[in-house]
Amino acid sequence: MFSLSSEAKVGLFVLVGLIILGYMSVQVGKQTLGLKKGYTLEVVFDSAAGLDRDASVQIAGVEIGRVESIRLQDGKALVRLRIVSNVKLEKDAIASIKTHGILGDKYVEIYPGTHGETYLAAGERISRTERQADIDKLLHQLGMIADDVRGVTSSLNRVLAGQAGEEAITSILTNTKDLTRNLNHVIVSNEAALHAALENTRQLTGNLNRVVTQNDEKVRQVMDTLKSASLEMEKTFAALKEITTGINRGEGTLGQLVKDKGAAEKLNQTLASLQEVTQKINEGRGSIGKLVNDDETVRNLNEGLTGLNRYVNKAEQFRTFLSYRGEYLFDKSDAKSYLDLRIQPKEDKFYILGVVSDPKGRRTTKDVTVGNTPTVRTEEWDRDGLLFNAQIGKRYKDLVLRGGLLESTGGVGIDYMALNDKLKLSFEAFGFGRDRRAHLKTGAEYRLFRHLYLSAGWDDFVSDQDNRSIYGGFAIRFEDDDLKYMLTTTPIPK
Amino acid sequence: MNRFSGALDRLGRAVLAGVEEMGKIILLFVSVLGWMFRPPFKLRNIFKQMEFVGVKSIFVVVLTGTFTGMVMALQGYHGFRMFSAESLVGGTVALGMTRELGPVLTSLMVTARAGSAMAAELGTMRVTEQIDALYVMAANPVKHLIVPRVIAGVLMTPLLTVVSDFTGILGGYFVGVHILGINSGIFIKNITRLVELNDIYNGLVKAACFGLILSLIGCYKGFNTYGGAEGVGRATTEAVVLASISILISDYFLTAIMF
Repeated sequence: MFSLSSEAKVGLFVLVGLIILGYMSVQVGKQTLGLKKGYTLEVVFDSAAGLDRDASVQIAGVEIGRVESIRLQDGKALVRLRIVSNVKLEKDAIASIKTHGILGDKYVEIYPGTHGETYLAAGERISRTERQADIDKLLHQLGMIADDVRGVTSSLNRVLAGQAGEEAITSILTNTKDLTRNLNHVIVSNEAALHAALENTRQLTGNLNRVVTQNDEKVRQVMDTLKSASLEMEKTFAALKEITTGINRGEGTLGQLVKDKGAAEKLNQTLASLQEVTQKINEGRGSIGKLVNDDETVRNLNEGLTGLNRYVNKAEQFRTFLSYRGEYLFDKSDAKSYLDLRIQPKEDKFYILGVVSDPKGRRTTKDVTVGNTPTVRTEEWDRDGLLFNAQIGKRYKDLVLRGGLLESTGGVGIDYMALNDKLKLSFEAFGFGRDRRAHLKTGAEYRLFRHLYLSAGWDDFVSDQDNRSIYGGFAIRFEDDDLKYMLTTTPIPK
Repeated sequence: MNRFSGALDRLGRAVLAGVEEMGKIILLFVSVLGWMFRPPFKLRNIFKQMEFVGVKSIFVVVLTGTFTGMVMALQGYHGFRMFSAESLVGGTVALGMTRELGPVLTSLMVTARAGSAMAAELGTMRVTEQIDALYVMAANPVKHLIVPRVIAGVLMTPLLTVVSDFTGILGGYFVGVHILGINSGIFIKNITRLVELNDIYNGLVKAACFGLILSLIGCYKGFNTYGGAEGVGRATTEAVVLASISILISDYFLTAIMF
C-alpha cells in the first residue's frame, strides 16, 4: 500500500496550514492593504467623542478610509484620516461624525463637495465640518423641559391638594352627578317625545339639505342680491327720510309746492306747457325742433366743437413768461436792465420781445456828406434811449438757437441748458458793424429758487472801445397766465 | 505549636519545591536552546516528532475547532438577538477563534495528545534506564530526545491553530447561515470588517508559546520520572495538569501584552 514518509506528511500538513493562513490573511487584510497606501487628510472636530483609531471613513456608506490618529489641538480634536488613493475629495467637502448601528460605533461620514472644485491634496485640511447631534446637550434640554413640566404639575398640585381643593373637586363632582341624574330623568321621562322631535328634526334637516344642495348656486346669488339690495335700500331710505322731513317742514320748492296749492297748480301748468314744447321739438316744429331734428346741425355742432377743442389745446400749450434782468457791470460801475416778454406757443418755439436800458444809452450815427469832402460820421448817444429786443428762438433738446434784434441790432444767440434746465450757458453776438467790432457776450445763469436766477458773465469782451466788462446780476422770471389769456383771446389759431 | 510549625514547614517546602521545579524547567529550556543549534541536526528525528505532534493531531483539532465555532455561533446568536445585532455573530466567532479559542484549545488538545505521550515515553525511558544508557554512549539525551520534541511543539502548534481557526469559522458560518438564517454576505462582511491581520498573527504567536510550554513541561516531567510504572503514570498526569495550567495562565499575560 502506498504510504507517505513522515517528512512528506509533515510537508503536506505545513503546506495546507500555510495555504489556509494565507487565505485568511488575504481575506482579512484585503481592505487594510489598500488603505496603507492612501493619502492623509486632516479635519478638526469640536469633539471626537466616541471616535477611535481605525474607525471607518465613508462616503454614502462606502468605506474610503480609516481614522489614522486623533490628537488634541487648541482644545479641539485634530483627526487625521487615511483615504484610499483612488478617491479624491473636493475642497468644499464636509466631514461629520456619525453613529453607526444601535451599538453606537462612531465613524466619519464625508459629504463630497460640488463637482468641479479643486481636489484636496495629501496632508490638507477639510475645512468644513458638520456638528453632530450631541446626546448630552439633548439630554440637558430634555432636563430643562422636565423641570418646566414639574413646575406646572407642582402648581396644579398646590391648587388641587389640601382640604379646600378636595372639597371643591368633591362639590364639582357632586354637582355633575346631580346634573346628569336630572338630565337622565328628563330624557327618560320624555323619551318618546324626544324621539319624535329628533325624527322631525332629522327629516327637516334632510329636506333642507336637499333644497340647499339643489339650489346652492341660486341661493348664493339670491343672498348676494339681497345683500346689495339691502345696502341700496338703506341709502335710499336715508335720503328719502331727509327729503320727506324737508318737505314736511315746508322747506324748498317741493315743500312749498306740497304746502301751497296755488304753486301746485302753476307747476301743473308748467309741466303741461313743457310737455307741449317737447312735443313740438320732437315733431320738428319751431327753431329748436329744427335744430334738434336736423343732421346738418349736428355736423356743424361737431365741427364747432372740434375747432373749439383744438383752440383750447393750443391755448393750453401757449405759455408766456415775463422776466426782468438786472446786470451790474463791474468795470463800468453801472447797471443794465432788461425787461422781456417771452411768448412760447409750443414747447420748442418761442418769441422774445423786450426793452433794454443801457447806461450808454442809444447810439445813433449820421453820415453827413457835403460836396467832395469825405463822409463825416457823427455819433450820438441818447442816454434815455431804450434798446429793443425782438427774437425768435427754437429749441433742440438742450440747445437753444435764437436770432433777431438784440439790443436794437441784428444778432444771434445760442444757449445751452444744463442740469435739468437749472443752468443756462449762453453766448450772444450782435451789433455787427463796419466801424466797430461786434458785441459779443457770454454768461451763465443759474436758477436759485423757483423764480429767482443769478447770472454772471463777460460783456462785450472783444470790444475795441474799451467796453468790456465782467458783470453779475439777477433775474426774476415767472409765467404770466393773465397775459396769456389776453393774448390768446385775440388771435384765433387755425 | 509544634503542629503550627509543621504546617509552616510544609508550606515552605511546597513553595520551594515549586520554585525549584520552575527553575529546573527554565534550566532545561536554556540547555535545549544550547543544544538546538549544535550539529548534527537529526532532521529525521525532528520530522518524526512533527508528524506525531502535528499531523496526527489534525483530526482532534479539526473536531474541537469546528464544534467550538458552531457553539459560539449558537450562543452568540441568542445573545445578539436581544438587541437585533445577529449579523455580528460572524465577526464574534472569527474574533474569538483567532484571538483566543483557536490557540488555547489547540494547545490543550496537543497537550492532552502529545504532551502526555512525551512524558510517558521519556518517563518509560528513564525508568527502564535507557536514558542512562544514552549517557553511557556519550550521547546527550537532551540533544537526542528533547530538542526534536520542543522544535516540533513550537512549529506545529501554530499550524494546528491555523487549521483550528479556519474550521471554527467554517463551523460558525454553517450554523449562522444555514441553521440560524443570517445573511451570508453580511456574515462574511462582518468577519472581514472586525478581524484584522494582527488578530490572526498574535494568535499564532500565542500558539507558538503554548507549544513551547507544553513540550518543555512534557519532556521535563518525563525526563525526571522516578519510581517505576507508577512513576510514569504520575509523571504523565503531572505533565498534562501543569502544562494546561501554565497555558491558561500564560494566555492571560500574553493577551495582556499583545492586545
